[in-house]
Parts: sequence; C-alpha cells; structure tokens
Amino acid sequence: MMNKTSERPNMHLHLKIWRQLNAAAPGKFVSYEKENVSPDMSFLEMLDELNEHLIKTGGDPVAFDSDCREGICGMCGLVINGQAHGPRRATTTCQLHMRSFNDGDTITIEPWRAKAFPVVRDLVVDRSAFDRIIQAGGYVSVNAGNAQDANALPISKYNSDLAMDAASCIGCGACVAACPNASASLFTSAKVSQLALLPQGLVERKERAINMVSQMDLEGFGDCSNYGECEAACPKEISISNIARMKREYVRAALTSA
Amino acid sequence: MTLDAKIPVGPIQEKWDKHRFNMKLVNPANKRKYTIIVVGTGLAGASAAASLGELGYNVQNFCIQDSPRRAHSIAAQGGINAAKNYPNDGDSVWRLFYDTVKGGDYRSREANVYRLAQVSNNIIDQCVAQGVPFAREYGGLLSNRSFGGAQVSRTFYARGQTGQQLLLGAYSSLSRQIKEKKVAMFTRHEMLDLVVIDGKARGIVTRNLITGKIESFAADAVLLATGGYGNVYYLSTNAVNSNATAVWRAHKRGAYFANPCFVQIHPTCIPVTGDHQSKLTLMSESLRNDGRVWVPKAKGDKRPANEIPEEERDYYLERRYPAFGNLVPRDIASRAAKQVCDEGRGVGKTGLAVYLDFADAIKRLGRKAIEEKYGNLFEMYERITDENPYNVPMRIFPAIHYTMGGLWVDYNLQSTVPGLFVLGEANFSDHGANRLGASALMQGLADGYFVAPYTVGNYIGSNKFEPVTTDHPAFKASEKEVDDLVKKLLAVNGTKTAHELNRELGLIMWEYVGMGRSEEGLKKALEEIPKLREEFWKSIKVAGTGETLNQNLEEAGRLADYLELAELIARDALNRRESCGGHFREESQTPEGEAKRDDENYSYVAAWEFKGTEEAPELHKESLTFEHVPLTQRSYK
Amino acid sequence: MLPFLTAVKSSVGKKFLMAITGLFWVFFLIVHLAGNLALLSGNGDFYNKYSHFLMSLGELLYVMEFLLLAFILTHIFSGVSVALGKMRARPQNYDVQKDLGGKSRKTVSASTMIYSGLLLLIFLVVHISHFKYQVGVDREYFTIINGTRMHDLYQLVYDAFGNLWYMLGYEVIMILVFSHLRHGFWSAFQSLGINHPRWSPVINTLGVVLASVIGFGFLILPLYIHFIGGR
Repeated sequence: MMNKTSERPNMHLHLKIWRQLNAAAPGKFVSYEKENVSPDMSFLEMLDELNEHLIKTGGDPVAFDSDCREGICGMCGLVINGQAHGPRRATTTCQLHMRSFNDGDTITIEPWRAKAFPVVRDLVVDRSAFDRIIQAGGYVSVNAGNAQDANALPISKYNSDLAMDAASCIGCGACVAACPNASASLFTSAKVSQLALLPQGLVERKERAINMVSQMDLEGFGDCSNYGECEAACPKEISISNIARMKREYVRAALTSA
Repeated sequence: MTLDAKIPVGPIQEKWDKHRFNMKLVNPANKRKYTIIVVGTGLAGASAAASLGELGYNVQNFCIQDSPRRAHSIAAQGGINAAKNYPNDGDSVWRLFYDTVKGGDYRSREANVYRLAQVSNNIIDQCVAQGVPFAREYGGLLSNRSFGGAQVSRTFYARGQTGQQLLLGAYSSLSRQIKEKKVAMFTRHEMLDLVVIDGKARGIVTRNLITGKIESFAADAVLLATGGYGNVYYLSTNAVNSNATAVWRAHKRGAYFANPCFVQIHPTCIPVTGDHQSKLTLMSESLRNDGRVWVPKAKGDKRPANEIPEEERDYYLERRYPAFGNLVPRDIASRAAKQVCDEGRGVGKTGLAVYLDFADAIKRLGRKAIEEKYGNLFEMYERITDENPYNVPMRIFPAIHYTMGGLWVDYNLQSTVPGLFVLGEANFSDHGANRLGASALMQGLADGYFVAPYTVGNYIGSNKFEPVTTDHPAFKASEKEVDDLVKKLLAVNGTKTAHELNRELGLIMWEYVGMGRSEEGLKKALEEIPKLREEFWKSIKVAGTGETLNQNLEEAGRLADYLELAELIARDALNRRESCGGHFREESQTPEGEAKRDDENYSYVAAWEFKGTEEAPELHKESLTFEHVPLTQRSYK
Repeated sequence: MLPFLTAVKSSVGKKFLMAITGLFWVFFLIVHLAGNLALLSGNGDFYNKYSHFLMSLGELLYVMEFLLLAFILTHIFSGVSVALGKMRARPQNYDVQKDLGGKSRKTVSASTMIYSGLLLLIFLVVHISHFKYQVGVDREYFTIINGTRMHDLYQLVYDAFGNLWYMLGYEVIMILVFSHLRHGFWSAFQSLGINHPRWSPVINTLGVVLASVIGFGFLILPLYIHFIGGR
C-alpha cells in the first residue's frame, strides 16, 4: 500500500457553485462538470483546474480566497455540501483532498453566509468584522521596548497550554459560517480567553471583555445558542469552554466595572 | 554610486548603542506631522507599523490579503532564536552572532548580525508581554529547544505554530494602533509602484484589489516588508499569494537587488503528486531528530518501502556525514537528496522523493513518545498524502523555502533609494548565503520592533521634506504606467494561463538555478528566461476586467515581474562562481563533492542596479570583512 | 461603567438572563412535579389539601407568581430575540445544510428550542386558565375537608384526563418539555459561564436525567390517571 489513493481512478464531479459579481449584485448557482479529478488533489487545486479551464475557454474564473494552503493563514473557507470547510473534521478547505469524495458526486460550494460577512465576489467574503473585534480590545497595551524580562512572571503550564489552545484560532470564520445563528462567539471568546488566562492580559480584562463583546454585537453577528456547531467546524478544534470563559469575563466586568 | 553600508565605527559590541545615541530624534509633537507607509503586515511589517504608530507617526499600512493577520509569517512552524541562555547551556549574544555568521557561510555583514543577536532577547520579552503563549515548563518558566542542529537550546516555540503566535502578537499591537487611529490599514491593496521624487521615496501606487482602482499614497518614508520571492520557482513553501512585485518595482525605481541567487531549499517537504500541485508543504525540520533518511541501494527499486530489506537500503546522510548524520544543515541535506534522485534511486510515483523513516525511533522510544513529539506533524502528513507515517516511512523532497537575497540595505535598513527602507525577508538581510532554522522570525521582528523605529526616525529627523501630494506629476506618471500595464496584460488575450507560464518558469529555475548550478546550465537559463518572457507577452490570457476583484489578473502581473527577476537570479548565480550556503556551483566543490567557498574573489555582497528590462544590470560590490568570526570551510563529516 | 440595560441587551447578557430564568423555572417544575405526585396517592383529599395550602399562602404566593411571570416573560423575550437575531444575522440561508456531528451539540432538541418554547407558552396559557382559573369549565368543583370548603382540583384533573384526546395532547406537550430541557439545562450553565472539564460532563448528564425525570414524570401522571387511577 504505497499510496492508497493513487490506485483510485480519476473522478468526474458535478459542481454547483455560487456565483455573485459583487456585494450588491444578486447571486446564483452555476453548474460545472469537472472531469479527471485526481484523488490526490486538494479541493482548491481542483478549483484551480476548473478556473484554468474557464480562463482558456473564455469564461470567468471562480473567485475564492486562499493563501498559505497549509491550514494556518485562515484565508480559505468554503461551505462544501452544507458543511463549513467540508466533510473532514479539523481540516481547512485547503487541506481537504479530493479523496474525500466519490466519482459522480454532486458538490455544492457556497460562500460563508452571514450578514457580517458580505460577499465580495463569488466565494470571497469580507471578514473585516473580525479585525474590528480584535481592534476593540484583543491585545495587551504594551509598546515596543517597555517589556520586562520574559521569565520575570512565571505562568502555570496548565494555563499557558489552555491559552495556546485558544490562541491557535486562525480567524477563518468557519465558526460563524457553521453556526445556525451566525454567531461569532467562538472567535471572540478565543481571544478573550487567551488573554484572560495569562497574567499579562489581566490588567485590561474588564475593558477587553466588554468592548470585544460590544463590537461583536455591533457587527451584526447572531447570538450564541450553544449549538456547538462552531467547535465541530473549527479546523483548530477550539473548545466552546472558551465561550463560557468569555461569558464569565463579561458578567464579571459588567458587575464590577466602576 | 559606491555602496556605503554606513556601519558605525567602534567595537562591534558598542556599535548599535552608540549609533542609537548618535541618531537624530524627532520631537514627539512633530512626529504626527510625518506620514510613513509600511507595505506588508507580516512579522516585520506589522511590528514596524505598530511600533511607528506607538511612537506617534501617522502610519499607513498595506496588505494584499483580507486581513493583516494572513501574512505568510503565520506559517512558520519551528521557533524563534534568542540569546537568553535560560537553559544555562553556554549561549550568549556572541555565540548567536557567531553561529549566524558561520551558518550564513560568511556572506553576511558582521555588524548587522551582531545587532540582530543583541536585540533577540528584547523580542522574547516583548512577545511575552503581548501575551504570546510560548511553551513553558512545569515551573512556569519558558521552555527552550535546540533547533536545526544548534549546539545550544536557544529556540523559543509555541507548539508547531510559533510564526502564527508571533504574528498574532504583532497583529494585536497593530490592531491597537488602528483602533487609536495612528495606523490606517489598507487591506486588499497591492503596491504596484514606488514613487520617487527629488531622489527620495515619497509614496506608492496601489491597486485596490476589490474595485480595481489605481490609487496613490504620499508619505515621507516608505517601508517595504513584503517577504521573499520564492514563488519565482512556482512551487515553493510560500503562500500562493506571496510575490515579489513590491520589491521588484522598487528595484526598477533605483533600489539595488542584493544576492538574488541566495535561495534556501528546505530538505523536508512533502513531494509533488502531479501537475495540479499548487504549493508545497513543509514538514518541520525537527523531524530529522528522530527520522532516518534513506533510499534503496538499487536504481529503480519500486518495491514498497517495508519490503526492502535493511541491507538493501542506503542511509546516505549517515553514510556520508557520520558526525552529523541526519542532522546536517538544510543545504547539505537538500543537495544529497537531489543527488540520490538524480542517480535514479528516488522513491514514490515520481521518483522525486526520499524516505524519512521513523520505524527505528518508534522501536526505540515507543509509538507514544513519537506521537507526543510529532503527532500534529504526522497528522498533517496523513491529511495530505493519505499515508500513515507510523506504518510507512514519510516521503520527503526539498523545496524552495526562503530567500536570503533581497533589496540591498545599509546598516539602517535603508535601500539605495533614500527614504525607502526594507525589512524582514524582503531585504538581503542578515542570513548571508544560508539562513539558520528559527532565525527568520527573529530577524523580522528585530527589524520591525527594534531597528526601523530608530533608523526611520533618524532619517526623518535629519532630512527636510518638501510637502508632496498625490497630485504631483510623479504620482500621475506612476499611476498611468501601472494602469497601462494592467491594460496591456488584459489586451494580450493569448492562449496560455499565468499558471501554465509560471509552471514553465519554475521548471527552468528548478532545473538550472536550483540546488546544483553550473555555468552551462545558468547560461541556458539566461537564454530560456527571456524567451519565456517574450512568450508571456505574446500568449498570456487573462480573464475578466480590471475593474473588479480579478485574481487571475493579479497572478499575471506578479508573473510578469518574476520573469524579470528570474533572469537576475540566474545572472547573479552565474556571476558567483563559488559555492556558498544555498548556492552550489558545480564548478566549485571539493573532491568529495562538498561546497567550496572562494573567499578571495567572492567575499562580497553582489548588489545589482536595474538598467532596463532588456539591458544587463550593473553589478556593485560591497566587500565583506570578517574581523570577529574567523573564516573557515564548513565541515559536517 | 457599563449601563445595566446595555449589559442586559448584549448577546451575553441576554443569554445570561435566559439561563437564570430558565433554571428558576426548572426548579419550579421540580416542585410542581413533586406536588403533583400526590395525584398518584389515590387520595383526593390529600391532593386538595396540598393545593389549598398553596392557595392560602397569600402574599408569598403573589410574589412567587409574579416572579414566575416576570421570569417567563424575560425568558420569552430573550428567546424570541435570539430567534429573530438569527434571521437578521443570516438573511440568506445555505442551499445545502448538513450538521457537522462530532463535538456538535446541535441535537433536534437544540434546533427546536424556539418552537418547543412557543408551544409550551401556548400550553401554559391553556393550562393555567384551565386548572387555575377554570376557564371553560362548566361546573363548579368544590369539596369540604375537615369543615373547610376548598377547590376539588383533584376531581378536575381526573375529569380532564379522563378525556382521551385531552390526555394525548397533554402527553405531546410533555415530550416538548423533555426536549426543551434536554438542551436547555446544560445550555443554561454554559450561558452562565459554567464550563469545566470535570463538572461539565456531570452537568450534561444531570441535564438529561432532569429532563427525563421532569418530562416523563409529568407524562406518567395523565397516563396513570386515564388508565389506572379512575376513581
């Protein structure tokens, strides 16, 4: 078993892709036939090939975001057959390979859908709402140059590991895409949590919790109904225990801030 | 023009401190009167934009992605070096400096490298203060590991996601400045030209990637932190949008390009599976600590790995380099892999791969121990290849990873265009001819947090600036040039896509300007590249229009620049008739086939001046002297 | 300072209130069920005395009733607001939708909270008007115990559940109660910020147990009365 999948013949797929010229234009699904899909291809490489074909035949290539293509930059993200980042758990769209599909499959490809993530074109959405949530308080106010020695403040390994779990968020937006309410709670809570778990973050914890949650609400994301779809969709498997921590932080801040 | 590196006088330990004292300051109340453009939001760009904003300048920060957090620094896995000596194992600023100069195969500037080692410690302090969750010991203090064959444990890390955590730290500082309105952030804007007025960099022209609008931005200084040019080779570990357009357009406006042939090829990447391949994925170097590299002894042995008996395997690194074995530096491991594949002993479908085998380590340490150390890497490998590395050996192959070359800068990180500063991988940097593992992150943040904020201030403080607006004829001329280029690309309407042509360029580069370079091959490349460039302008087909988001157009524009830069890389490689670091000239090797440096003739930085696309560039030399690190030939036997 | 109303209207505050009010009602349901177990005793006087005792609590009863009313209104307000917010936050729905499974907690119970909630609201109105205010009841139910005239609630209940359709309708509603609590209980703790690697599994299990006890406890009563407990 040198390479299981290379034994599999290439596939023929029916694609149903959301096409939309810009935020204002109405969108619609367009069907494409994609032949000769190698099971070793990544999902985005399959779309690359489709685009090559479209360009050569005078068509309009499908716009989709991607950058690092190794699952860390958070730029890619498609809803594939109704699932954010597709059928494979803990995997970004760029790391999803065609071996997860079968010959003759129909694959429906849609953009993240949320009011706070307007479509830019086709499958590309505007996630700047996430940036504004971080700008509202997802930082420690420390200027370059005025830090103390890195080891001056011991931090328990347990808390540090939990902070790292939360910090591994790649900001892709799959949590919003997968949430039936289009809530950004998992994203926001990952940053609130990371900084609440570290002593460096405690000085500004109240303002942070209040400001980040307020910004999240302002952006037009939905509320959290504890469905947990976000955690299941998260390519980094960030836990909803972070959402609980964010709620503690918020309530604590709301009750005690001067 | 003679190249003046502006290295401060005095003992190397005191150069930076003295220089900081000697540099001009800008009154806090005056800082807000100056506008500084920072292009790029990776480690260098985000940290510089944030730091300059903190100081009070008006900063305009640009990136091509939808958010500053996407920059490719995010993909760095292994770690960041610093001379903290927390493990008490004999590390020091001097040792980090020494290792970096030696590891760079004596093609970097001593004074710069010393400063890098000095500020390395401040970086760790800064990042921890930002809330970067570095790995810790049970006692609550920071954990270190040894990396890339270093003799000391000086690498700080955050699981296998160190780059991500450091970038998100810098991004958080940047976000704070955006909130405070000290930094104006322009996402999905691609810099397409540098505007030089009265000999000074005074702004940039960008294309708004969503609306297609060509826009001008004026400033008092411009900082480029736009990363490396590895995608000239088409397949690399770079992100698919990483590109060389910003540095190349700046080069065309007068910034010299230094040592373009110094390209790092990383030995442990997942091999290519077919023509559909869009990028290569790196597997952390740390895997070589426990994995054994081998190929079959016999040519064309297509049996599955597990059916090849022990005595028919060639553990070629252990055989050739008994002292370092599988842990030889990146350039040596990469070249050795290429050699065995050239001999026809490569494995896998394509024959372009070697095995990295964990069977012995699993036997010795147990599967659980291996899982703890490399679990996430093994999972990633399995996701991509559908093979389980616990049962069958990994297949790996070298891939383009990092570019040591870049725009030439002096000690102040200023290019040959006054007011144009270049940071991070985009400059020709502190890594000489070969970068050590975990040093890229260190350099990016050093430049952004601790060097540029001083040296840019010095430039502002010691120059007079005539007010310039984007109505200046130079901006209008630039805008027109950029617009014409876009129109020209769209007008060709040929038969080949940017992907196809980039793949062709990549093949030429990998074949002739890759791991082994010969005079004959390089000359061939210098014939082929201009031909391909000509073909590009005849047969490129770009879909859509310039007035919308058009990723195909972006790609074509970047390729047009690669086709020019590629020629410079080959030319530089041809000029440097020695082997050093990542640059291996077949003509310059020891009888055992190892790299042979020629310090007498090539101990210089080759800085190229642009003379026109179809003209030969002019070579300027900055000679390198080594007063503190004695020149020796590297040996890993 | 964060204004109270802002905090309450925030996404966190809204759910915090929903959780508090929900848990209060869970507590009420437990007490209510415990009291109703008296129906199983077969002794009408025992049950009627219990209900008479509750009715004669005076101010305390009014306070309790006020709290229950206020809490349920808050609960409804939050729930409806979440449901409406959902439509606002995703004006265009997916063409294809598939649950993710794995660690997701999107059970049928979770996805139907607004519907089970609204049906329970309707039920509550009917339930209270029937048994408390006896709306539409065409005869007076009174009994004399130890010389005190009191409501014969026991008989009212038995007569009501004697009707097969009424009884079946009631059973359906009790399944909704189970469903609402199945997601509601653990979810309330999550909304209050209580999530702990050791305690969350306990809370989750407790939620299932409570939902079952309450839901099926209330479900057994009409069945018993209809088929076994006839006087």
